[in-house]
Amino acid sequence: MNYAKKLLAEVGLEAERLEIFFLSSAEGVHFAEIAADMTERARQLGPNPLKKSSGVKPWTQMEVKE
Amino acid sequence: MIVAQQKPLEEIKAMIADAQKVLILGCGTCVTVCFAGGEKEVAILASQLRMATRLEGNEKEIREFTVQRQCEYEYNEMAADYIRDADLIVSLACGIGVQTVNEQFPEKLTVPGLNTSGLSQPTEQGVWVERCQACGDCILALTGGLCPIARCAKSLLNGPCGGSQRGICEVYAERETPCVWDQIYHRLKELGQLDKIMDIRPPKNWHPSRDGGQRKIVREDLRL
Repeated sequence: MNYAKKLLAEVGLEAERLEIFFLSSAEGVHFAEIAADMTERARQLGPNPLKKSSGVKPWTQMEVKE
Repeated sequence: MIVAQQKPLEEIKAMIADAQKVLILGCGTCVTVCFAGGEKEVAILASQLRMATRLEGNEKEIREFTVQRQCEYEYNEMAADYIRDADLIVSLACGIGVQTVNEQFPEKLTVPGLNTSGLSQPTEQGVWVERCQACGDCILALTGGLCPIARCAKSLLNGPCGGSQRGICEVYAERETPCVWDQIYHRLKELGQLDKIMDIRPPKNWHPSRDGGQRKIVREDLRL
C-alpha cells in the first residue's frame, strides 16, 4: 500500500485517494464508517483530475508476429 | 544476477519530454528477477507516465512490451514493429540491453530507464548484495570462496586493513557491513587452510578487468 501511494504521489496525484482496510464480514458498522470517511475524503479532494480527457488517442497495442 | 534500479520518474520524464509515442521496453531475464524491469515494472512505469503526462497537460502515447532477453537480437525482433512505430524507446533492461536495442534499431534512440548497479546475490527478500565485480581473474579459490575484490571496500588482496573492527568494515556509515577479510579469516580457519592467509599476494593483474579496456570473448569453436 505504501508503495502504491508512493507511485501515485510521484505522478502528482494525492496519495490519500488510496487506502486499505482489513475487516471481517461481521464488521458491518465499521465498514459503513470507513465507506462514509472515504466518501468524505474523496469529496474534499475533488474529482479525479485524470478523468478529464486530454484529446490524445491511446496508442493501441499491436499484434505480435511470432 | 545483474541487478538494476529504476531511475527516478522525474529523470525518465525529462528523457521522454520531446517524444510523443514512447515505448517502454522491458526485459524478461535478470531485471525481471530483481523486480526492476520486467513485465510488471513496465506496466507500472507506463501507467505512471500516462497519468503524469496527462496531469501535466502534455499527454503522451505510451506502449508496453517485454522481450525475453534484451541483450540478444533474436528476442528483440519480436518488438520490432513496436520499436519502429515509436518516437523514443525507454528500455527497462540493464545497460547491455539498452545498447543492444540502440545497435539493432539505429534509426530510433533508446534511453535507459534503469541504473544498472552490479552483479549481486539476493540475500533475502528485497535485498541484493554485490558479490562479483567481474574482474576477469577469479581468486575465490584462495579466499575461502569469499570475494575481497567485490566485498572489501578497498578491494584488498592482503587484508584485513586497520579499519576492520570487531568484524565490521569502517567504511560504511551504517557500520553493519561485515569485513570480508574477517569473514575470509574465519572461513579459512574452518577449512583448516589458515596458512593461506599468510601468503603475501602480489599486486593483482588488472589487465583482464577494466584496465585492459573493453573486454571481448571470442570462442572460435562456437562461431558459425
